[in-house]
Amino acid sequence: MSLRAAFAEGRFAVSSEVGPPTGTDVSEMLETADMLHGRVDALNVTDNQAAVMRLSTIAACIHLKQHGHDPVFQVTCRDRNRLGLQSDLLGAASFGITEVLALTGDHVVVGDHPEAAAVFDLESVQLLDTVATLADGSDLAGNELTGSPEFFVGAVVTPDANPIRPQLAKFEKKVRSGARFFQTQAVYDAESFLRFMEYARQFDVRVLAGLVVPRSARMARFMNKNIPGITVPNAIIEELDASEDPVQTGVDVTGRFIREVREHCDGVHIMAIGAEHLVPRVLDAAGL
Amino acid sequence: MHSTRTTHDTRTGDERESRLFAPCRAACPVHIDVPGYLTAVAEGRFTDALEIVLERNPLPSVCGRVCLRPCEEGCRRCLLDDPVAVAHIKRAAADFGSYPTQQKARPRPETVAVVGSGPAGLTASADLAELGFQVTIYEQKPELGGMLRYGIPDYRLPDYALDRDIDYILSRGVEAVTDARVGADITLDELADANDAVLVTAGLQASRSLPIEGADLPEAIMALPFLEACARGEDVEVGKRVVVVGGGNVAMDVARAARRQGAEQVHVVCLEDEEEMPASDFEVEEARQEGVHVHCSWGPAQVVGDGTVCGLEAVRCTSVFDHEKRFAPKFDESVVQEFEADTVIFAIGQAPDIGDLGLECTERGVPEVDPTTLRTGTDKVYAAGDVVSGPTMIIDAIAAGHRAAASIARDLTGDGRMLADLDEENAVLGEVPETMSSKLETRRRLQMERLEIWEAVGSFDEVELGYTEYEAAREAQRCLGCTTGARLVKEKCAACLTGMRVCPHGAPHIKVGGYVYFDAEACNACGACASECPAQAIAIEGYSEEEMSRRIERQLVHHGMGTTLVFACGSAPVLPEIPGDDVRLLTTTCHLRVSERAVLEALREGASHVVFAGCVEATCRFPYARPIVTKRMKQIQATLAEIGMEDSFVVIGGADEEELAHL
Amino acid sequence: MIVVRQKPIDDILEMVARHKRVLILGCNTCSAVALAGGEKEVETLAELLRLATSRKGASIEFEGAVLQRQCEPEFIEELEEGGFDAFLSLGCGAGVALLSEKEDIPVYPGIDTLFIGASKGLANWQAECSACGECVLGETAGICPVTRCPKGIMNGPCGGVSDGQCELGDRDCAWVQIHERLEELGQDECITETHEPRDHSTKTLVREWDMSEPGERK
Repeated sequence: MSLRAAFAEGRFAVSSEVGPPTGTDVSEMLETADMLHGRVDALNVTDNQAAVMRLSTIAACIHLKQHGHDPVFQVTCRDRNRLGLQSDLLGAASFGITEVLALTGDHVVVGDHPEAAAVFDLESVQLLDTVATLADGSDLAGNELTGSPEFFVGAVVTPDANPIRPQLAKFEKKVRSGARFFQTQAVYDAESFLRFMEYARQFDVRVLAGLVVPRSARMARFMNKNIPGITVPNAIIEELDASEDPVQTGVDVTGRFIREVREHCDGVHIMAIGAEHLVPRVLDAAGL
Repeated sequence: MHSTRTTHDTRTGDERESRLFAPCRAACPVHIDVPGYLTAVAEGRFTDALEIVLERNPLPSVCGRVCLRPCEEGCRRCLLDDPVAVAHIKRAAADFGSYPTQQKARPRPETVAVVGSGPAGLTASADLAELGFQVTIYEQKPELGGMLRYGIPDYRLPDYALDRDIDYILSRGVEAVTDARVGADITLDELADANDAVLVTAGLQASRSLPIEGADLPEAIMALPFLEACARGEDVEVGKRVVVVGGGNVAMDVARAARRQGAEQVHVVCLEDEEEMPASDFEVEEARQEGVHVHCSWGPAQVVGDGTVCGLEAVRCTSVFDHEKRFAPKFDESVVQEFEADTVIFAIGQAPDIGDLGLECTERGVPEVDPTTLRTGTDKVYAAGDVVSGPTMIIDAIAAGHRAAASIARDLTGDGRMLADLDEENAVLGEVPETMSSKLETRRRLQMERLEIWEAVGSFDEVELGYTEYEAAREAQRCLGCTTGARLVKEKCAACLTGMRVCPHGAPHIKVGGYVYFDAEACNACGACASECPAQAIAIEGYSEEEMSRRIERQLVHHGMGTTLVFACGSAPVLPEIPGDDVRLLTTTCHLRVSERAVLEALREGASHVVFAGCVEATCRFPYARPIVTKRMKQIQATLAEIGMEDSFVVIGGADEEELAHL
Repeated sequence: MIVVRQKPIDDILEMVARHKRVLILGCNTCSAVALAGGEKEVETLAELLRLATSRKGASIEFEGAVLQRQCEPEFIEELEEGGFDAFLSLGCGAGVALLSEKEDIPVYPGIDTLFIGASKGLANWQAECSACGECVLGETAGICPVTRCPKGIMNGPCGGVSDGQCELGDRDCAWVQIHERLEELGQDECITETHEPRDHSTKTLVREWDMSEPGERK
């Protein structure tokens, strides 16, 4: 299984994600992956997510690959310059890890090492170009590669960004730079998302709706206030507020959303954020 | 040692070169730097203020009391409320400042004799002595001062106040010979032979009388002998009812003096109507307050009496001047009124009494002089003051004294700069622009404490009691600081534009080339720009870091550790109670003018605490500047916190609400 | 101009602690305009240091002077001998460096050099230029993405933008502003054009610029 395979087969793709540990013990990460095995097409492996230091993404991808999983290698531009990025991409490819999500990455000042130098030698669009260049058989300096990788590369987009136009302009740049699929920032308002899909359908790309299960009204409000580009509609917050089992309500809400958008997008990307056990329940609720 | 400080004599910069005068200064016949000394008083620097006045007027104590203050009419503050009480503040400078004691010039061999010791003679003597000439005054009366002593009553100008100025002038090296009438005791020719120059400033010593019936009765007397008798402390028998003939300031003096000599009813009878009366409005008003009745538009027809005066008969005066403004009174003799009187005093004018000098005179008995040089037809002899010009203000006589001294100096030394300077054109600062007036607070003039009327008319004691030091400073704070404001010190300017951004009145503008110039009309010298200028490239008169350092040092030099140095806002009507055994007060125009550096310096010099006191919104003179001041105070606190001294700096407000309520 | 900020007083005290006689040297160009290195700041800092050191029982003399620009050797030569054993410079890094080169006593920085900025009003500056040596302002409507975007992104806003605000929360998103301005200016083509990765070598390699040779690019 992989995203590429799912899309090729015309299936509604399901992706989730795992975070590498802060340390060398990868057992918990592998247990989570095992738990999701069979229910998802791919597992995104985050890259020092939120600028918090973790075991290397590429190593985590290798572990997962060796345990029979299909990782999507998330690559951010925060921690490596163009040499590091290229060599890691080649390294990953050499292990057969070819599904890549190209991101700019959160700034170091929001993470746990705020004093660190933020690299950002390249950024997401340029990273996509880099991936394409490597795939064409040379590096950014024009040197010919001995064995060129084949990547299936994706990027991210925020359908609820405010303002939206600069976001869409960049989306189009990403398309031009070779992004084959997009994972969106968490979306909750189906109507709004479908509007975005109507726009996105002009382009030959696959779109996975990004999902974060709202586990409580408080969490929903927190996201509205603190996470750029996420808008949980009031109706959902009220529903969570009124619920005796808000986690179940969150699962239901997410499942309902998937059913509503299923015919109009190519899959979903469920960002579990430490509650991976809910992913199967969401998929159950969505009838997937 | 590297020195970063440059001393800027703000009075010799652009402003003086262009001779831009504030209207008060322009209106003053001797162009005293009024804003300059008001600024000094505003900060409690009375000696500095006195020195500024003395530069142009050697009689500050006199003029602080009895000047007719043309300066106040020009005050730009009139637009808002009342003119600043310039004369009152001048008096405070003389009351509280110390007269300088050092003589400046090297003595010269030339000698000058001055005939008469009124304001013109005293001024010329002071100027000439200052230049090093040997000056001797010849005065026919036993004491110096002329009309200042023998014409102006003590309740307006007491002897001690006059003596203060005269002592100062004598201390310049002026000699005086009293009880010596030139023309009788010594001739003008003798003086001219013995000296390099002679200046006649004899004034107007003769009273004019009216050729009407009864004018020769014994109780029909003249103003000047009456005033002189009063000045000598004599009791003059005037009876219960006195009629004063005349409408000028002398008539008012006579009327009020008569009240003090026991007259219960005093009537002033004059030809002019209320508008035309030559007496100053405030002199008339003060006379009225003391119970003097003023009757306008009456022409004296005869003094009624049979051996003794029993009244004055007057007829209606229908007009005083003809269409060419010449004196040509017309009367309606059918309208007659009699004013009962035990004494009639004529105060209708004075005339020169110089017949025995032998000077070439006009047919009216006035010496003929060149208006620029004041030279008479007689070699080496000059004449100045009222003897030449007729009756004028004291300050005009002082101006004439300056001219005479400048002319004599030119003739004796060849240096004509002083004389040329007197005739230089001056630009006058224009009106307060709306950008500024809209941001200024109304604050009425601070009234000076006076004797109660019943007290006043009971003696010749001085009526106006003077400001206290604090009152003077407060009143001086009302000055808009015209022409004392911001000037760019171009060679230091970093063109940061901070001053432009700080100024609430839009006074600074960018000049081509990146420099900033200041529109003097829109500047009220608050000091916001100067205090924020990083390059210290903005000069404001009376305000500089050097000056502040000197003041801090003066306050702390004889005081050990434990002193609390209070920077007090001069606008606060009442200062809060400041705790501490040794509290030293340093008044400032605004806390804007107290820099962070100054606070640090005071602490380094040994002050245990520095207090900002009296910065209260209700009485703030520069309300728009409060955010800057507040920020400054916070900055100082933060800086001191960095070195663990945050407790050393305290901000105490001003008066409490109750105290403010009655303002 | 170069925007600077005075160092914390404790840091300054530590630097000068072993000296006896220190000259605080202002700079009347950028530092003065940044309200950190003019005559006023020199004199204020001198007083503060005198006060602070005397409270600690130390005896260090502090004097002050201001140069027109510390980054000019001729101005530095104007300094007279004053028996100092250290300089405390309120000039930017360039001033400190040149002063160190020209004088034979230690020079300490009294300020931190922050950025090349423009004035936004009274005592307020915004970083506008990073001196990257590769100006793209012509394509970004005069708003520098290298300087104004914390990530230096060249191709549009990241996902962190929220209500036009940067994810760091302390500034507007440079790219949202660039878009708005490009649209206003009718430079829409600049919106869609993808920017290649920047050439950082200029910043590394061009460390001396000698225009005295004829034919050099000006």
